[in-house]
Amino acid sequence: MGRMTDAGTSFVSVAVEVKEPLSDSSLGWKLLRTALFEQKKGLILGVLVGVFWAAGKVSVPQLTKMGIDRGIEGRESLWFWSGLVVGAGVIAGIFTSLRRWYAFRESRWIETRLREKIFDHLLHLHVGYHDGMQTGQIMSRASSDLQQLQAFVVMIPITLSNLAMVIAIVVLLISSQPVLALVALSPLPVVTILASRFSRDIHPVVLEVQQEQAQLATVVEESVAGVRVIKGFGAEKVQSDKLLQEADDIWKVSLIAAKIRSRFLPALDLLPSLGLIAVLGIGGHRVINGQMSVGDLVKFNAYITMLIWPLRNLAMTVALGQRASVALMRVNEVLNTPSLITDPVVAFELPNGSQTQPVGQLQFNNVIFGYGDNAPIIDDFNLSIAPGSAVALVGATGSGKSTIVRLLTRFHDVQRGSIKIDGVDIRSLSLNDLRTAVGIVFEETFLFHDSVFDNIAFAQPDASPEVVERAAKLAGAHDFILELPHGYATILGERGYSLSGGQRQRIAIARAIVSDPRILVLDDATSAVDPSKEHEIRQAMATVMKGRTTIVIAHRAGTIALADSVVLLDGGRVVAVGTHEELLLNDERYQNVLAGWQESDDDDTEVDN
Amino acid sequence: MWGMSAVSEADRLDRVQTLKVLRRAFVMARAQRRLFLSALGFVFVGTLVTLAGPTLVRYGIDHGIRTKNGSALNRTVALYVLVVIVGYISARMQFIAINRAGEGFLRELRITVFGKLQKQSMAFFDREKAGVLVSRMTADIESMSELVQFGLLQFVSAFLLLILATVLLAVLSWQLLIVAMVVLPVLIVASIKFQRISNNAYLDVRENVGNNLSTLQEGITGVRVIQAYGQQANRSKRFRLSNRALFDSHMYSVKISTWYFGLVEFAGIAATGAIIGFGGYLVHQGTATIGTVTAFVLLLANLFDPVQQLSQLYNTVQSSTAALHKLFVIIDAVPDVDEVAQPTELSTRGALVVDHVTFAYAGNDREVLKDVTISVADGERLALVGPTGAGKSTLAKLMARLYDPSESNGHRGTVSYGGVDLRQASNSDLRRRIVVVPQEGFCFSGSIRENIRIARSTASDSEVEEALVSIGALERFTEFPEGLETDVRERGSRLSAGERQLIALARAALVNPAVLVLDEATSNLDPGTEAVVEHALESLMIGRTVIVVAHRLSTIRRADRIGVIDHGELVELGTHAELVELKGRYAALSDAWDRSQPQR
Repeated sequence: MGRMTDAGTSFVSVAVEVKEPLSDSSLGWKLLRTALFEQKKGLILGVLVGVFWAAGKVSVPQLTKMGIDRGIEGRESLWFWSGLVVGAGVIAGIFTSLRRWYAFRESRWIETRLREKIFDHLLHLHVGYHDGMQTGQIMSRASSDLQQLQAFVVMIPITLSNLAMVIAIVVLLISSQPVLALVALSPLPVVTILASRFSRDIHPVVLEVQQEQAQLATVVEESVAGVRVIKGFGAEKVQSDKLLQEADDIWKVSLIAAKIRSRFLPALDLLPSLGLIAVLGIGGHRVINGQMSVGDLVKFNAYITMLIWPLRNLAMTVALGQRASVALMRVNEVLNTPSLITDPVVAFELPNGSQTQPVGQLQFNNVIFGYGDNAPIIDDFNLSIAPGSAVALVGATGSGKSTIVRLLTRFHDVQRGSIKIDGVDIRSLSLNDLRTAVGIVFEETFLFHDSVFDNIAFAQPDASPEVVERAAKLAGAHDFILELPHGYATILGERGYSLSGGQRQRIAIARAIVSDPRILVLDDATSAVDPSKEHEIRQAMATVMKGRTTIVIAHRAGTIALADSVVLLDGGRVVAVGTHEELLLNDERYQNVLAGWQESDDDDTEVDN
Repeated sequence: MWGMSAVSEADRLDRVQTLKVLRRAFVMARAQRRLFLSALGFVFVGTLVTLAGPTLVRYGIDHGIRTKNGSALNRTVALYVLVVIVGYISARMQFIAINRAGEGFLRELRITVFGKLQKQSMAFFDREKAGVLVSRMTADIESMSELVQFGLLQFVSAFLLLILATVLLAVLSWQLLIVAMVVLPVLIVASIKFQRISNNAYLDVRENVGNNLSTLQEGITGVRVIQAYGQQANRSKRFRLSNRALFDSHMYSVKISTWYFGLVEFAGIAATGAIIGFGGYLVHQGTATIGTVTAFVLLLANLFDPVQQLSQLYNTVQSSTAALHKLFVIIDAVPDVDEVAQPTELSTRGALVVDHVTFAYAGNDREVLKDVTISVADGERLALVGPTGAGKSTLAKLMARLYDPSESNGHRGTVSYGGVDLRQASNSDLRRRIVVVPQEGFCFSGSIRENIRIARSTASDSEVEEALVSIGALERFTEFPEGLETDVRERGSRLSAGERQLIALARAALVNPAVLVLDEATSNLDPGTEAVVEHALESLMIGRTVIVVAHRLSTIRRADRIGVIDHGELVELGTHAELVELKGRYAALSDAWDRSQPQR
């Protein structure tokens, strides 16, 4: 975890990140059963269809045998037998299709369903949980883990119907030629055992190969992203050496994987051949002795061949099942994490405002809060803000400014004390009401892969174009939006049109205007902005703040000056209150905090770049 | 499972190109050629073994069983055992050979492509998207591993099997072969059609997977905004849309595959039925033996499976050659800033002179710099100012030979240091004299020490520490529990922005260059860190020639001279006082700054 920086988001997690070893495999299987049970209809249908497929398949060698024995050798009607075989082919063909269809439908559906469930749950999980998790980690729950589940579920109808086929064949063979059957079938269980050993041995190596590939990817990514450093210092050799190392690692591990494959795969091909040889040798002599027919011989041959893949698959399915149950446990870990911030059982409502009774009064009473078990970062914080007035929170790094904002929106709950809006404790408001009442312009603007319009109308998706445009105008964003390739319809976000820091910030302010909050928080809204554009943002900020209770977190004098009064924070409590001028004149601590840039106000400012 | 590789229309190579790429790959795989050839030999043996089984069964039936010749049967069985063992051994050898060849080839490809990438100039990296370059080195090379591990051999063996099986069956009974072939055209047409549709379906799936992952990621990274504005329900709805679109595209590709696999299953069995019908007829006529019919039934699979495999492998081959082609493009790219064969030594100190330099990015006619001439004396501090996109940063980079001047009207300007054209200097000399400190402190994964040492890989531990001391930043890092060995984590996320900048400065200090080229950061640090970075920067600049792309007035005022760049031209040059006096651009910029100051 990063150091505790007030502005950053890299807090030590308060979330209970359960990191117990996932050894309890019975839990995994139980979860798997529950998940599968919800789709039992489709899965049963898939298996049923598969049984028909098996029947079609199994009948072919039997019919072939009869065709050879009765049609060819016995001179019965050839067309009858050959027609029957073709008929069996029709059945096998149709049910192959259907089996595949149901198997994939059910497996894709379970994946799709659970992914939505995870997503919904994530959106409702308290921010503390997200602080403690890496995005990639959560992503893999909803992507690769679910894929592992999918890969197993698709095998369920297929494996079960394969099993039906295996049983049918074994019964058929044993009942027709018990001795030959036992000898010819004996290598086949070894196929399953070997195949499961194979997937047990190869799996970790395959993972290792992937890991080595990921490490190589990191070297490449860094070399490309850090190309300025590398070129600047002529450090190409350093990176080339790193790459050589990684390429060698991949090579080594891949050859280990190849060795494992070479140990198992040819053997898996060899074993059934032994069965076929037994059929020819033992079966041949039995035919010579008149104990069986040539047709039987062909039938045995065909059946043994038919058993090879199902028996190999069986082992694969078991391995897939194990991986799926582990993956499902990880998925469940997310789904079972309760949100620590929830709606109250009985929700109060905020009073409505009137001419005589303006709303937006905000009060912090003896608030104490610390992240996890760490020492409180907010320690007995008291502050009252009158409706419609603006307060600037100023303090050194780690003084707790941003944490105050996080408490106000209930990203975290206070440990002691209370926060009240218009006299109502925020914990007795519904989360929706609270967050409608409080609007934040974050330090870093997050834009969604949506149009400019949708990004501004984020809080009110059904807002009219007039409302959105008005907000954009107030935020000083309207003009540059019109200059974008598609105006308000321009798609933004990581994969869309990229805006400058100042433009992003103005979109964020427009977003806050549309939400029309009772209390507005501007969390260091100018820090990511090209300094030369800062005054434009300030103007937009001043417009939004008018007549609205506002908390401004700022470093720079120009931004602080927007507020009616300044609150100086130190060690998580208020140490001084006053106007910017008063504090600058009288308060040494305030002077010190501002000293970093205050050295000369010149220093803080830049010419246009 | 069907071949999960696809290639988009844009990437697809035609036959001539494909052959060219393959031929070149074969030339490149010089070192592995013997292994490849021996693997091919083993594949040939393996194919013969596959066909030998049913042939031996036929022989056993006709010559042992039907003639009631027990010893002939035994001999056949013994031969069968032998053949199977030979098959097993050759399969093992083939695995080892092809993997050693293939992995060796991929290893060399990785090293070659990366080496070429490293040789490219800054301009190349400005031009190319980072994600694309990374995927060349990862996804594109990995997409070939399937091909080298088994695809290539499978391709060869399917091809051999198809031909040999056809020949064998023709020898056994050409009449029956014709019967068996009846379903073959259907199968071939279906396979080709299926492969084409499924290729597109797979591309569609891939796109939907990408979209869905982005939406997912957006939800997770944007969760604070979503919660702050109470938009969970809306976002869930959005996600559902992309998630269901993905499901639908999956199901579409399944739908395509269902009819195909059903048809394949049917065709195989139907052919068996036909063989029994016609084969029986031929037996009754006395033109075929029952052993032949049996062999046909058993060999049929060897006729149909290769058709399926070949059509599936077709996509793998296509996407692999497309990937190879892209890699060759990188390998063939000529670096536009390259080292000369016989470099001239750079003096330790001297003036940095930009002489009539014009610059345009490759493939772009617009001149970013137009005929700029400027001379920076030894030890002088020059600030470059001007609007965004004016060309200040480009000029700074030219001064460090991250780019070379372009030719314009038959004349190519020069940048020289101590009288030596930078293009004549060796890279190592150049990087020792002139160092660029990028504005964002980029960190590589590894420890703090390793991150600093990247500037000079031969530096000792104490030299790294001295570099930190010289900029007054050692304590900042020794405070960490693990000191300089602290792992900075991905992109230096363990460190604050200010600390990352300190590392960038320490790197420069470690090299101890005569000339520093600085690109000043635009974003602000918190006041405390700002002071430390400021101090480090000042210490670093002492006694060096400094060219700084400046955004802050404080920096500008501390410079000896200021150069104003506008639209690629050096429009003003002089001291602060001189330029204010001039009442030109600089004076206007300075004024604008004064006005944007808050009232006190």
